[in-house]
Amino acid sequence: MTNGQRNSAISSLWKRIDITRRPYLPAIAVSLLLFALNGFLQPKTLRPVSIFADISTYLPLILLAVGQTYVVLASDIDLSVGSSISLVNVVTVSVMAGLGGGSGAILAGILVGLLVGMGCGAVNGFCVAVLRFQPIVATFASGIVFAGLALWILPQAGLAAPDAYWETYGENLAGIPFVIWVLAGLALIVVWVAKLVFLRSLLAVGGNMQSAYQSGLPVPRLRIGAFMICGLFAAISALCLTGDTASGDPLLGAKMTLGSVAAVVLGGTALSGGRGSPVGSIFGAVILGLIGSVVFFAGVPFEYQNLVQGLIVLAALAGGVTVARR
Amino acid sequence: MGILEIKGVDKHFGAVIALENAELDVERGEVHVLIGSNGSGKSTLCKIIAGSVMPDAGEVRIEGAVAAINGPKDATRQGIGVFYQELSLVPQLSVQENLFLAALPRRGPGLVDRAAMRRRADDLVQQFAGVTGAGFTLDTPVEELRTDQRQIVEILKVLATEARIIIFDEPTSSLDKRQVTVFFDLVRGLRDQGRAIIFISHRMDEIFEIGDRVTVLRDGRSVECLRLTETDQDTLVKHMVGSRITPVEAGGRRLEIGNNDSVLTVENLCGHRLEGISFALKRGEILGFGGLHGQGQSLALRILFGAEPASNGSIRLPGGERRPSKPAEAIRRGVAYLSGDRNRDGIFLARPILENLVAADLTKSNLFFLSPQRLIRKVSAVVKRLKMRFSGFAAPISSLSGGNQQKAIIGRWLTTRPQILLLDDPTKGIDLQSKTDLYKIMRDLAAEGVSVILYSSEDAELLGVTDRILVFNGGRIVKQLDGRQMNAFNLYQAAYGVTT
Repeated sequence: MTNGQRNSAISSLWKRIDITRRPYLPAIAVSLLLFALNGFLQPKTLRPVSIFADISTYLPLILLAVGQTYVVLASDIDLSVGSSISLVNVVTVSVMAGLGGGSGAILAGILVGLLVGMGCGAVNGFCVAVLRFQPIVATFASGIVFAGLALWILPQAGLAAPDAYWETYGENLAGIPFVIWVLAGLALIVVWVAKLVFLRSLLAVGGNMQSAYQSGLPVPRLRIGAFMICGLFAAISALCLTGDTASGDPLLGAKMTLGSVAAVVLGGTALSGGRGSPVGSIFGAVILGLIGSVVFFAGVPFEYQNLVQGLIVLAALAGGVTVARR
Repeated sequence: MGILEIKGVDKHFGAVIALENAELDVERGEVHVLIGSNGSGKSTLCKIIAGSVMPDAGEVRIEGAVAAINGPKDATRQGIGVFYQELSLVPQLSVQENLFLAALPRRGPGLVDRAAMRRRADDLVQQFAGVTGAGFTLDTPVEELRTDQRQIVEILKVLATEARIIIFDEPTSSLDKRQVTVFFDLVRGLRDQGRAIIFISHRMDEIFEIGDRVTVLRDGRSVECLRLTETDQDTLVKHMVGSRITPVEAGGRRLEIGNNDSVLTVENLCGHRLEGISFALKRGEILGFGGLHGQGQSLALRILFGAEPASNGSIRLPGGERRPSKPAEAIRRGVAYLSGDRNRDGIFLARPILENLVAADLTKSNLFFLSPQRLIRKVSAVVKRLKMRFSGFAAPISSLSGGNQQKAIIGRWLTTRPQILLLDDPTKGIDLQSKTDLYKIMRDLAAEGVSVILYSSEDAELLGVTDRILVFNGGRIVKQLDGRQMNAFNLYQAAYGVTT
């Protein structure tokens, strides 16, 4: 094979992989790599039990990142998602406790939680798309409000969720762990949304808002829709976290906001909007989780773990940006 | 009765009158051309029909009924389709998704009907079969297309709406000859189906080739509506000129600069939408760039300043034959650039006047620390010369009027003592007194040996202030006007690409 032939073979391979049209591919590759590295450092992590445990640990951030993706695709950002989680958590647990903790109370709590999440999204969407506030500022501020509401509703952590709720979440359903059902449901939703006119329109809004408007698309409604979906996913994420922690905590989600944004970016979605996919964000969240695990099993001394973890995230982000520029 | 009638439409933007009692009558089954110089109101009129601008007075009637068009959606509902030159495609989405952006084929609960979309997109693209060029598929993201291919997508996007009234604003500016032929056949087909087409073009030959009737706009008024078979190019140019053009009085034009040496030589300069321009600029000359808006004039200036890349060609400036690769380099080589779009290109709105004045000079100095006193000493001569009025150097520049802001930006460049001053429509939106001051400053600078290139969308300004005018059309220089040739008739004739 001559040099030229080899080059053209390589370039046609690149074309087939086509990262610009499938920006989530590097994220999948990196998560597989980290998973293998993790297994090499600690073979026990390859057992199904610990894989399921990992999934239930990563699931809340995965859900949050998927929701965040829809907002970012429209070239907005939601910095209030962490606080929305806290608010949904305390409202849900309070409703369940207030109604006596029976199965009816649990369902009511879930329903109210989902509505609260969507409500948070609607508030954000209204501020950004109708009042035209800067998304970063508006959602940062609304996040403070949501966190304040959560503290007002439940000033102290520790109100217990009904046993039936977290027991169901932690158990198997039809022989398969409940979290796997959630994950499967998430995958179905992501695939379904990808086929919607809504998503195409959202990509148009994020890609070029001016042309979306001139083409007659209902730009404000689409942006509000994206924020509401994001709020809904934050609520689902909160319900999963509640299943894990089994109690109400007004500071529960505080640190997850930027994790969700990092996961979205790691997944190949452009913060400038119009380009990307929630599939990538799922793997972006997995990458963030696995990095923590790898650093732990590699025996990095405790006081350096945050530092090493941060450096790896930085490297992964830089790598993603370089690949995307090709 | 026409399908579209516009009666007595007025539109003001601040103090600027864009349209005054404008009339238009478009019939079913005709190609109706709009023609007029810069600022005559063509694009404002189109924007009113398209719903992106609201008229102050007057009415738009569609099939005899008064139509309230309060946004692009209303226009679409009324059966109006608009071809936009730049704005309407989403770069990240594919060709077929762009074609149906606002009305994606659906099936079931809100799902995209991909099969139907592909089928309909394919039908549309077939109309340009054979001339779309390499790399054009239904799935190609628009950002990977060439300019002419994007323009084809824009055209097809309008056709996809099945509109009964279609506005084409310069639809052929990037198309090659074969593509134009196909497009004109398409337009004739639409006309024969009974649709009404409003057509704007910067090329007189195209206007006579495709148009049935023409409405001439001048200063926001409709001055004439003619059958193209019953008129000729000179008549149209005369109507565009009218009797009004009085070149602004700047005084001091000198005719002996022809013997001066050149400070800037440009050969075969090409770029995005610039198709090879060549000219030389003499020391102490004020050279005008003329022609209809957006024919490459601003772009050429920005390339000379290193703010946009060129794809080919040579620029000889002080300091050698290298093309400046960035503004800082152009500044060091004695070039200054002033844009009429102050907010984007010039001004640090919230910063003090002093900082705005010295911003460009700082790129020349190697000082690490700055002494405000020394800076003030440096700029005070310039400030006096420009007759700027303000309360103090520390006040934010946003406290000044538009005219004084523009003077401050000019002052910024004068402190760098440039040899070449590039002015990109510098008097846009400033008051009359400041304009007059600016003309005086330009002439004075030229007398001191500074060379100026002035692009202006105001033709009276070009004719009055400059020594020589290069007329742009479609990214080319089609005509040079100097001495006695410098009048509005010749300018408009050349602007519309009439080469006789």
